[in-house]
Amino acid sequence: MKSYRKYMTSKIVWYVLTFVVALFLNFLLPRLIPGNPVSTIVSKITSGMADTNSIKRVYETFEKEFGLNKPIWEQFLIYVSNLLHGNMGTSFGQYPRKVTDILASSIVWTIGLQLPAIIVSWILGNVLGVLAAYIKKGFDKVLFPVFLFISCIPSFGFAIVLVWLFAVALKIAPASGGYAFDMIPSPTLSFFLSVLQHYQLPFWSIVLVGIGGQSLGMREMSIYELNADYVKYCRLLGLKDSKIVRYVFKNAVLPQITGLALSLGTMVGGALITEIVFSYPGLGSVLFNAIAAQDFPLISGCTLLITTGVLIANFVIDIVYGLIDPRIKVAQQE
Amino acid sequence: MAEKLLEVKNLKSVYKTRFNEKITAVDDVSFDLEDGKCLGIAGESGCGKSTLAMSVMGYYYPPLFYESGIVNISGIDITKIPYNQLRKEILGKEIAYIPQAAMNALNPTQRIINLIEDVMEEHISGITKKEIRKIAEDRFETLNLPKDVLQRYPIELSGGMKQRTVIAISTILNPKILIADEPTSALDVTSQKIVIKLLKDLIKRGFIKAMVFITHELPLLYNIADDIMVMYAGEIVESGEAEEVIFDPIHPYSNGLMNSIIVPEKGIKGKKLTVIPGAPPNLKYKLEGCRFFDRCLFAKDECKISEINMKYVNNRSYRCVLQVDELKEMYEDGKKPATT
Ligand SMILES: Nc1ncnc2c1ncn2[C@@H]1O[C@H](COP(=O)(O)OP(=O)(O)OP(=O)(O)O)[C@@H](O)[C@H]1O
Ligand SMILES: [Mg+2]
Repeated sequence: MKSYRKYMTSKIVWYVLTFVVALFLNFLLPRLIPGNPVSTIVSKITSGMADTNSIKRVYETFEKEFGLNKPIWEQFLIYVSNLLHGNMGTSFGQYPRKVTDILASSIVWTIGLQLPAIIVSWILGNVLGVLAAYIKKGFDKVLFPVFLFISCIPSFGFAIVLVWLFAVALKIAPASGGYAFDMIPSPTLSFFLSVLQHYQLPFWSIVLVGIGGQSLGMREMSIYELNADYVKYCRLLGLKDSKIVRYVFKNAVLPQITGLALSLGTMVGGALITEIVFSYPGLGSVLFNAIAAQDFPLISGCTLLITTGVLIANFVIDIVYGLIDPRIKVAQQE
Repeated sequence: MAEKLLEVKNLKSVYKTRFNEKITAVDDVSFDLEDGKCLGIAGESGCGKSTLAMSVMGYYYPPLFYESGIVNISGIDITKIPYNQLRKEILGKEIAYIPQAAMNALNPTQRIINLIEDVMEEHISGITKKEIRKIAEDRFETLNLPKDVLQRYPIELSGGMKQRTVIAISTILNPKILIADEPTSALDVTSQKIVIKLLKDLIKRGFIKAMVFITHELPLLYNIADDIMVMYAGEIVESGEAEEVIFDPIHPYSNGLMNSIIVPEKGIKGKKLTVIPGAPPNLKYKLEGCRFFDRCLFAKDECKISEINMKYVNNRSYRCVLQVDELKEMYEDGKKPATT
């Protein structure tokens, strides 16, 4: 128990260090993109203004507000202290909206799309994977190449194929957006139905690609487990194959939990491309637009959210594994 | 005469490789096992001991295939019944198995008690978890195993403890026959002794009625077996009472094995079965005549010609063209096989 605490303490120290480094990079990297975002905003606001003096004053006001006239280390300190107060700054691109507001409204869409999709594809993928390994013969001969094919298609390519097939050719699903463009989000049935309709294509494109990769990994793991000595021993004890496959599933799926936790962690930024292809109003689209607009605070906000997600996911894996898998528990105690 | 619990007749099993080669790993093996007896099977690595064990239990999973022969367990020829009947009525209940590598035989993510629950629920309908726990605890106590092992994961047990636990699990349903495949090979001498004592205990207490003990370590066999079969390249080359086979072997192969063990010291201390120069033939090819020909110090031309059948002399049998007297004479002449 004592060594377990030592193990956890050293883990936590590493996670905190990683977070600090990530925080700094989050802040620094967007600012290394060449170009000046303020002039973009200013030129938008001042279009039609002729007076160079007032344009200059507008420019200076903005530069001061965003703190861009200060040295970069001072900017970083301000950034961190604001962050501690829950303030991520003001968006350049969607001025004067607060970064936190933008993130809060878009993350609902992202999680709503991704969480069910990831879980559904994880469960289906793993069940299909273990079945393919166990049944072999016909089932495996068909499923394996299909999974391999699907998992090799880049997700945006797959999304585009789905759009073409269901939205353009068959016209049975809308091609883009999170809801009909003439609607305002409200708690009504028609809005809900519209959301559901728009949900289908992005959802299934994530699910299918996910199943492909997931089931391939699971199939490998299960084949390995099925050849383990304990399978033979259990059969010789007269246990049913259905029971033994359950043992195999449990042992093979435990390592897959890492994959699940990681995809949940990267969830917030993970479906970037799917969201862009479907113009889905989630975090991916926001990040994409923020990069295009050189919106430093918004980019930093998005990436900070993603980083935190990944770190938390990893941390949870580390703790949970020790509890559910005796093989790891022993390794942790050594 | 005691009741025959197990009757194996002309059993033949083959491995089919990916290149469609047939490896006959068990070739025309016959033997009986009577109530109360322990049969020892000895032979070099790769001679087909484990394959014989699998075949006797009806465990035919690719690449291993049944070819011909009979395996009678309690009057049922298990090679003729559907797998589901074999699984439900025979495996674990009539005949049980202790695997060669008991170290990996347990599912690493399952507590011992949960495996016992699954095994017992499978074979005894309507039994409750509470009853199972009681039975398991009693059995562990009787066999001098700590009860708290039941709540542990396999990874938390030492090698010797794991082996003893596997033995206890295999015999929890009081099977009539136990097949132990090199149950002590991976253990140190102290643990070996404990395991042998445990196995003898099982018979003494009536938890099992008879046992087949597979090994390549003769000293152990001397301690536990009533009868011994010597196996070579998939065939039985000699069988008889343990005492006789060890101290007065007939077949040149057995003679080679035993000689190398008994000669220097009186007694049979700590030597293993791997001292005859040369290697056994590849079972892939169709073998003509005596399979031991290439390594035999007494080989003659006639050994290579025809199929060599078992010869029966008194209570013993051996597979060689020469007569017992001829062989004995040659052993006496000091033409003993080298004991390198
Ligand atoms: N899966 C397999 N595929 C093909 N051939 C096999 C396979 N398993 C075993 N064999 C062959 O069958 C023969 C008998 O193997 P078996 O495992 O029964 O030997 P063994 O007497 O138990 O040896 P050991 O003392 O090393 O356990 C060997 O020659 C081996 O090469
Ligand atoms: Mg073996």
